[in-house]
Amino acid sequence: MKKTRKFSMLLMTLAMIATLFAGCGSKDNASEGNTGTAPDGQSSTAASDDDPFKEHLDISVAFWDIDQVAEKWDKDPIFQDLMKKFNITIKPVNVTWDDYVQKFQMWAASGQLPDIFATDAIGTQYYRNWVNQGIVKALPEDMSKYPSLAEYFETPDIKGLSEDGKYYNIPRRMFPTVDWSVLDRVVMYRWDLAQKAGITKEPETWDEFKAMLQAIVDKDPEGKHITGLTSSTTKMIGGFFWLYGNSAATSDGSGSDFKWIKEDGKFVPAVFSSKALPALQNMRDMFEHKLVDPDIALTKPDTAYDKFVSGKSAALLAGGGFLGIDQNIYEKRWKTAYPNADFTQSVKVLKPLTGPDGERYHPVFKTYWSESYFNAKIDDKKLDRILRLYDYILSPEGNDRLTYGVKDVDYKVEGDKKVPIGDVSLNEKYPAKGFLMNLVTYNTSNAYDMNNPTIANKTIRQEAVDYIDWSIKNSKVPDYDIRLTYMSTPTKDKFSVLDHDDLLNMMLSKDPIDKAWENTLNNYKAKGLDKMIDEVNAKAKEQGIE
Amino acid sequence: MKRNNKAGGRSSKSGLWNTMRQYKYHYLMVLPVIVWYILFSYLPMYGITLSFKTFDFSKGILGSPWVGFQHFREISHDPEFWSAFKNTVIISLSKLVIHFPLPIILAMVMNEFSRTKARKFFQTLFTFPHFISWVVLAGILTNIFSNDGVYIQLMTMLGFDASSPLVSVQGFRPMIYLSHVWKEIGWDSIIYMAALTGINPELYEAAEMDGASRLQRLRYIAWPGIKSTVAILFILTIGNLLSLGSSFEQIFNLYSSPVYSVADTIDTYVYRTTFTVGADFGYMTAVGLIKSAISLVLLVLANMTVKKMGEQGLY
Repeated sequence: MKKTRKFSMLLMTLAMIATLFAGCGSKDNASEGNTGTAPDGQSSTAASDDDPFKEHLDISVAFWDIDQVAEKWDKDPIFQDLMKKFNITIKPVNVTWDDYVQKFQMWAASGQLPDIFATDAIGTQYYRNWVNQGIVKALPEDMSKYPSLAEYFETPDIKGLSEDGKYYNIPRRMFPTVDWSVLDRVVMYRWDLAQKAGITKEPETWDEFKAMLQAIVDKDPEGKHITGLTSSTTKMIGGFFWLYGNSAATSDGSGSDFKWIKEDGKFVPAVFSSKALPALQNMRDMFEHKLVDPDIALTKPDTAYDKFVSGKSAALLAGGGFLGIDQNIYEKRWKTAYPNADFTQSVKVLKPLTGPDGERYHPVFKTYWSESYFNAKIDDKKLDRILRLYDYILSPEGNDRLTYGVKDVDYKVEGDKKVPIGDVSLNEKYPAKGFLMNLVTYNTSNAYDMNNPTIANKTIRQEAVDYIDWSIKNSKVPDYDIRLTYMSTPTKDKFSVLDHDDLLNMMLSKDPIDKAWENTLNNYKAKGLDKMIDEVNAKAKEQGIE
Repeated sequence: MKRNNKAGGRSSKSGLWNTMRQYKYHYLMVLPVIVWYILFSYLPMYGITLSFKTFDFSKGILGSPWVGFQHFREISHDPEFWSAFKNTVIISLSKLVIHFPLPIILAMVMNEFSRTKARKFFQTLFTFPHFISWVVLAGILTNIFSNDGVYIQLMTMLGFDASSPLVSVQGFRPMIYLSHVWKEIGWDSIIYMAALTGINPELYEAAEMDGASRLQRLRYIAWPGIKSTVAILFILTIGNLLSLGSSFEQIFNLYSSPVYSVADTIDTYVYRTTFTVGADFGYMTAVGLIKSAISLVLLVLANMTVKKMGEQGLY
């Protein structure tokens, strides 16, 4: 009896200690399963020693919500075919939109980064550290083995991303030029409610837009206590409110992409130029007149979409252009809520407004958003396999497969057009094709073409095509020098401008706007604003930037 | 004399050894806890050295280059750190003043319930919110206090021009205090209720027979019975004061930039700056170290104060 008791005590204690240690195990995503034998039926790809696909490779990939799409990989014949062709297995490593920045920094510090990971790091403090401290792998200097990828890097602003002649990532290109940035922040408004509130003309100026919102909010046609403009995230708001006379101040919310303009013979970040105050005053006026959702500081994407579609917000600021409108508003919500209402007659997309200086400006961002990074621990063989996959996806053959499906099955070629065969949704038939394409590039601009089926609803597709055509012809890109945005100086490298936070503060502060803004400026000065401006101007002079 | 001392030393050593042998299973059971502390509390303490280094991803904590007190010098000029520090102190002290006495009062009131069923009902009612995570509670609070929520609707009906406390510089802190009390009052009162249950009921009966009123029984029997528990918990609370004020999960899930000036505490500041902006891990470790150092000083001071008041301290 006593012995049994002793033994069981010992066993329990050991079990508890073992449990403790169990939590201490670490998994190195990069080194785990780097190589392996080919799965059944795939060894046939091993043709000879020169065969670059001879050895089967596991490649871990961290991508937003990859777990959701990974469930459907088995059902996607295109995906399966590509895995077989390149003799690889993609091991998903899930990150979410809420945690990806944190996770990659944690994994970088603990040596657990996956082989490929997607994030928007360019310009940040940690990006410089990753490059300088050997966390991310440089692409080979000779890219001749990957012709489509090499061509991809010929785009001017992507070419400009080299660090001492080397590239450390592959950016996901969205648009051919920054003229397309207008699609990065779109404001859609409830034209059906505006008409019910007595508005007859679609707004083209700030005053007309404000008058329309005021009419909807005051008359509240559906009696739902409707508010004015809401936003999918708080990071979006600078992309709209700065357009009132200070459009170069628009930034992507990362804190590191702030743009510089010349004012009184000196380069200054546009956010801190003298043009900021009128834009802030305009925003505060809109908020005080209830033309902005009082809960905008707490906004979340799904809440904002629901508010807009259910008629609780008169307008919605969101990213993603017409693809976002099509998916988040029309497909997921509007179609079900208002099956009989004509979407494009009920919801309009605001054209860039004429500002106080009489010009129509649109926000400006980069032509790409986010990048693919490769863990420095992967060997050259694995990098080669990854780059071959990327090269294929960027090639005309890969691009056509991932956009239009399988030739003569899903589409046929008629002259220079690709005509869909049948009405089957390609996203349902090939649920992983979007992931593969987005892993490498977004090529968002391709969807703004009447022959491209990405926006399934043809009326919305037509609106999208018309909108971008009109905008490119009629609105302007603000003046700024992108070289200064990427310039590195000791103070600038540590300096962040989270202007969306500042805008929210200005909107909700009880102080007069000039006093509130002065306090904000003083905070930035305490963090080295003046020193950074001096450093950048001195370096710009050295480099002959006028 | 010398020999006696030696003998005494030996006997106390062998006494400890004998006690350990006698209670060997107790010691065996406590072993995992000791291992846990060594693994997760003591061994990771080498990370503190990062406060004096600038973190290099490729070299890790041990290999990163030393920078001396550079981070501490920079912190002294960082307005956001001072704002976070001020908020942490204000929120901590306010929570201490507002929250600390309430579970004691609740426990004493509940102890007065003669019906067990009613006591159990209220105990469950007050304890339940403790088991809901702040993520869920933050969602509930956001719904209550948003523009469409009950709070604004009610205030508007009553004729007040209310704004949501979630984005109001004036309203945010009171909401933090109240929601903290709501969530934790029941849970925190459990230990006091246990102490009250430990009081010999004969004392109450004797006092009742001597004609003591209910308040007098509370004052002269219940309170002395739980005073030492209160003292120990007071020291522990003080030691944990800055973490209490930082209340990372609570504030992180509820705050937004318009209320950073009153809500950003050291913990949220460290997290936000490290992972949003990507600041040097060394710098942020230095910020964390300052917080720990202040906590240690507070703990020692609280222990001294309690001892001077005649109660037993922690050491």
